Amino acid sequence: MLFFSFFKTLIDHEVTVELKNDIQIRGILKSVDQYLNIKLEDISVVEELKYPHLSAVKNVFIRGSVVRYVHLPAGAVDIPLLEDATRREAANQAGKAK
Amino acid sequence: MSFFGFDPTRPNPAGAGFSQARDPFAGLSGHDDEGDALNFEDTYDGLGDQLDETDDVFNDDTFGDTGGSTVTAPVGKDFDFFGQTAKVANAIEEEHVRFNRQAPAARAAQSTAQSIPGPSHAQAPAASTTSYNFAPQPSYKPARTGYEKYSQEPVGELQVDAALWGVAPKKQAPAPPAQTHSPATVPAGRKIMSLEEVEAQMRAQSAKPAQPAVPSPVPQAHAQQPQVHYDQGYQFQQPTHPQVPAQTGEQAYHQGHAPPVTILQRPQSKHAAQAQPHPAQVPAQHHAQQRPQPSGPVQPTQILQNPSRLSGDAAMLGAHPHPTPPAGHPVHPTHRPQGSLSRQQQLVTHPSQLSQMSEEDKAAYMDQEAKRAKRNHKIFLMSRDNGIMTPQDKNFVTRIQLQQLVAATGNPNEHGTDESLAEDFYYQVHNQIQGGHRQHPSQPLNNFAQTYLFQTGSRHGGLRRHHRGPENHMQRMEQQVQRAVEAAKNKPKNKQLVIEGSLGKISFSNAKTPKPLLNIKRNDSAGEAARPSSAHKNIHPSAGRDKKSELRSIELVYSTLMKMEDHDRMMPPPPTSDADTHAIEKAMEWNTTAQALNKKLWTALRVHDHPQPGGVHPFIALLSYTKGKKAMERIFRHATREQRTIILTLIVVNLDELDVVRGAQVTTGDIQLNAAMRENVELFSVAVMSTLFNFMNELDLDLVAGVSGLVCSRNIDIIAKSRIGASMLTMILSRAEIIKHSGGGTEQSWRSWDVAYTQLFNLLEPSLPHIFPGTVSSGDDMYVWQLLAAIGIGASPDQQQRLVLAVKDRVMDTVNLAKTLPHELSVQRLQNVNLFMRSIGLDVELLQ
Repeated sequence: MLFFSFFKTLIDHEVTVELKNDIQIRGILKSVDQYLNIKLEDISVVEELKYPHLSAVKNVFIRGSVVRYVHLPAGAVDIPLLEDATRREAANQAGKAK
Repeated sequence: MSFFGFDPTRPNPAGAGFSQARDPFAGLSGHDDEGDALNFEDTYDGLGDQLDETDDVFNDDTFGDTGGSTVTAPVGKDFDFFGQTAKVANAIEEEHVRFNRQAPAARAAQSTAQSIPGPSHAQAPAASTTSYNFAPQPSYKPARTGYEKYSQEPVGELQVDAALWGVAPKKQAPAPPAQTHSPATVPAGRKIMSLEEVEAQMRAQSAKPAQPAVPSPVPQAHAQQPQVHYDQGYQFQQPTHPQVPAQTGEQAYHQGHAPPVTILQRPQSKHAAQAQPHPAQVPAQHHAQQRPQPSGPVQPTQILQNPSRLSGDAAMLGAHPHPTPPAGHPVHPTHRPQGSLSRQQQLVTHPSQLSQMSEEDKAAYMDQEAKRAKRNHKIFLMSRDNGIMTPQDKNFVTRIQLQQLVAATGNPNEHGTDESLAEDFYYQVHNQIQGGHRQHPSQPLNNFAQTYLFQTGSRHGGLRRHHRGPENHMQRMEQQVQRAVEAAKNKPKNKQLVIEGSLGKISFSNAKTPKPLLNIKRNDSAGEAARPSSAHKNIHPSAGRDKKSELRSIELVYSTLMKMEDHDRMMPPPPTSDADTHAIEKAMEWNTTAQALNKKLWTALRVHDHPQPGGVHPFIALLSYTKGKKAMERIFRHATREQRTIILTLIVVNLDELDVVRGAQVTTGDIQLNAAMRENVELFSVAVMSTLFNFMNELDLDLVAGVSGLVCSRNIDIIAKSRIGASMLTMILSRAEIIKHSGGGTEQSWRSWDVAYTQLFNLLEPSLPHIFPGTVSSGDDMYVWQLLAAIGIGASPDQQQRLVLAVKDRVMDTVNLAKTLPHELSVQRLQNVNLFMRSIGLDVELLQ
């Protein structure tokens, strides 16, 4: 749940989602779910010339499984907190595994 | 296909209707009216225009802003979720939940308007009746969506019903009061329908769009309303029954709406239980129907609301072989049972018609009636308790049950908040932190709701603003469900199942632990040395330190810190009095745990571990890691004063062993440390030095003198030549100065300080010319001037002179350089120098 929890805090921030087919889409993150499906609004494709068919698209719903990277807005990430959250998650997982 | 397929061609006379009685789902059982006997347009007299429109203000509540109050305005497609679905896949769930949210809102609006206690659906019954009987709708399309009623406000139907009664007009009263009033007294039965039921109904409807729900009125209406069925498209029957009061037509439309409403609201169970409506009974029933208008509410009309039952009914009826199937009009095959049924009923309800029936017909009819009566009676018995619990009650019970379930699956709920925090830690805490300064106050809640809309799929009506209570309720419930499900999933601990006699094992797999394709048995003892990672380890025995165990220690420190922070949150309130033994006990328990955690932290820090011969102290080794440095501030927060002192002492004692001191030595002409080291130094001064500085400011002179003495026991040249070391010295010296200025310290402690200072100065003096980083022009030497200033303040005149001699060259060079620099830079440099000059009572101005 860590990633879900994390991405929820990025809602309404601008992120760039890089898909497994190399398309990079930049837009405002509107929602994310437990599968890390992503809803972006107000999108723009990074290499617009290469993917003209997307130039008319204003918002997208991206299935989580096709996402390669999400470029985060560094300012919106609370690093110490994230570190702690990661430790907690690891502890949780370890607890569950037992 | 749209549930809300509005027909724009047909003017909707009742704008008010949006806020009014319609039960949207009643329309599901609407009829198919291919062959209308009565044309709606002919019979419509515009009464609908007089409808009460005062409740229009609630339209927005119900439909959002799109609806407006204008009748013909295109209604927003917000609730047209099925229609949207096809187009916008990702909006499905949102729309879905939104719709669920809107429905209760409308109800609430109505109930308050009518001042009926409870969420009773005062007007719903009226709507349901109307929709059942509103046959003559010219704009009906063959594809039924179940929501046609939405677009066509059923005003006229009431009148039609009245007409069919053949009763003399009781009231000429205008429609609106009748409509708003009579429903108020009407059973709350319809309201019982839960959203689930509604959904089921809708689904059923969409699944078989051609299936007319007409049979629904049958059980209730067959006796009283013979003519209704004419409207259902069996014109051919009209001529055969001349006794039907044709005169009712026009004038009856002007009747008040009340009579039909009552009739149809009348719970049918009683009458159904009686069963077999003989023609003789008809008048009596008829009377009975008139009476109960005020007393109606007691009995639920739930029978009519269950779509599956209705369709089942229809199916049953349809399956019934009828000897005289209706002919002569193009009706969809599925309409046949309905047609025949209505015809039958009509025949029977009129005494004169019964005789016209053939024996076969009669027997079949009776048989059918008996069956249905039995059924209805059963349903009635079951539905007697409907509506006892509100949806909230049900939610509550569900929650309790789930709690028990969770508890039973060995997931005790005692730390409810903590567990939810563990799952969603980052988000929860981040929101708490960020919550204070949001730019758009409306945003976070929206997002919150939106986020949880998907996660919880909450059916609760209260998911609106300022309604966080139930939302949290549901959220917690959902989390419990998740936990319960997880616990259930974890239950089969056996990853494999060996069935007796089978040749192999059956292994379970899921997304988290996929079925292993390769099952290689590892030869632990033999393979160890050959594995690359261990080989790597052997080649590089980590420079004398056990890196792995150090890192593990740091992680242990962190996890202990987190536990301590959690523990702090659970601190019990201090016992109010000595008598409160329970509170005292709790506080003691808490203290015990806190101490245990503190001890654990202390152990993890390895402060008391002995360094390996030739190696650095384990604690200092921890400080060489980035995360070790970062932990320092948190450690200090949870450490006792004594522990802090020990840590400070330990750091000072090992000052020349610190990587940031040893690895960051300044050498004249070359100050370029590598980037990693510079980062390290920066981090150390931010994370560790500031923490120590804060702590140092609480120390008294004795301790400061002690610390100073400790520094002297180390290699002071190395210390002074590093930025961190110099800062540390500055810190110690300036603390002593501050104590002096505030007049603290005893005579004796001052004496010991003076001794310590002199010793330090003597040791430091030879290094002074070499502690400047780089050349004069590099200009990164501010911290050195600070140190010099700190030394200079406490120095005796003799010492001051020696100090000036030691650094004179640097001072002169800097002043000379400042003359060639641009103004701003030059001022800055001179200020740095002046810091030192002033401390010994001089000024740069004198040199220029």
